[in-house]
Amino acid sequence: MLNKLLTELSDEELIKEYQDNNTPEAYDILVKRYKDPLMNFVYRFVGDRDICTDVVQDTMIKFYLNKDSYRSFAKFSTWIYTIAGNLAKNELKRRRRRIIFSIDNSDDERSPQIEDKMFLAPDKAADGEMRNEIIQKALLKVKPVYREVVILRDIQDLSYEEISEITGLAIGTVKSRINRGRAQLQKLLKHIYRE
Amino acid sequence: MKKIYNDEENKYSKLLKDLKELPKIKSPDNFEYNLLTRIQNKNFGKMIIERPQFSWAKFLAPSAVVVTTITLFFIFFPASQENNNQLLQQTKPGNNQSVTDKTTQDQIKLNSQQSVSPNQKLQPNSSVLLESNNQTAKQSVRSPFYDSRSIRLDDYISGSNKNQSNTNRGNIVNNGEEPSRYDGFIVSEKPDKKTLERYRAVVDSIKKAQLKADSLKKVQK
Repeated sequence: MLNKLLTELSDEELIKEYQDNNTPEAYDILVKRYKDPLMNFVYRFVGDRDICTDVVQDTMIKFYLNKDSYRSFAKFSTWIYTIAGNLAKNELKRRRRRIIFSIDNSDDERSPQIEDKMFLAPDKAADGEMRNEIIQKALLKVKPVYREVVILRDIQDLSYEEISEITGLAIGTVKSRINRGRAQLQKLLKHIYRE
Repeated sequence: MKKIYNDEENKYSKLLKDLKELPKIKSPDNFEYNLLTRIQNKNFGKMIIERPQFSWAKFLAPSAVVVTTITLFFIFFPASQENNNQLLQQTKPGNNQSVTDKTTQDQIKLNSQQSVSPNQKLQPNSSVLLESNNQTAKQSVRSPFYDSRSIRLDDYISGSNKNQSNTNRGNIVNNGEEPSRYDGFIVSEKPDKKTLERYRAVVDSIKKAQLKADSLKKVQK
């Protein structure tokens, strides 16, 4: 009965319930609601499924530990996306450092191999699965500052205001970064998007 | 502005369509189970940030370094400071009269005026208070030489020049921008009462003689 009621609550009401009464069900519902969108966001940003799972787990742990740092004037979604985004960026930095200091830093590890597939025949490239893979690898080649906002806007479908809140940037900056990101992506995928 | 961004969106319409159609990544089935297990086992990894605790050692170490640096600076560079102060006290290069000459001239001027006001006092260190145009200006007679680089002959003979160090003599090498001055012996003669009275008596007698000569001339005429 209680669960049924809780599922009908909004994100903000649920977090309030969890903050005030420490209701574990409220936390569970929020985890259920956000685990997949966050997985999608982090995977597109990091490009590795295992790392992505770890980052989202860490996001939920951070949410569990720091529930009181959430303030009701912000949207819960922007708060949880901010945590996930920061953790994903930290993970990227850690990976980059590991690659630099790695003894066996082969080229395979350093850059995603999208060039090879981009020169495939157009009919093969048009194949849905392959196309998605090429887009994902091209996305990983876009600068992280642009990549983050492009993912949030064009994949996660968030508003400019929400992205501005998540990234802590002005809306104008968000818009210009999105455009630059798109331009970079289009340039990387010029073999697919031939005029 | 909105139009610009709409145009941009049209420009990338195909790309945007593809991005939206990218397959949604879903969390693994055991995601929640693993999460709850981690929470139950309190396996938070690096999630708990340890706040740095205040320690006196951390607080005192930088301040000790600062104090030591300042102390060492004053121990090893007193000479340079002394030199700087001296540069401020230097008289202009054109003023190349000896101390004794200037003092004597001042004394003669004083004697010639005959009336010494209470404000006009002869200072022990050859500094004289002169009253001119109703303004009192303090003029101190200073040595044209670098005191630190010169030897006071009187002090040297009497053996009271213990405070003088040879460190400043080396600074002449460093201070190459200014032309070096004469490093000579200073014969400083401090005015004593007897000398003053003797000079005063001489000047008075000359003046009296002059007055007598003038009065005789007038009588003869």
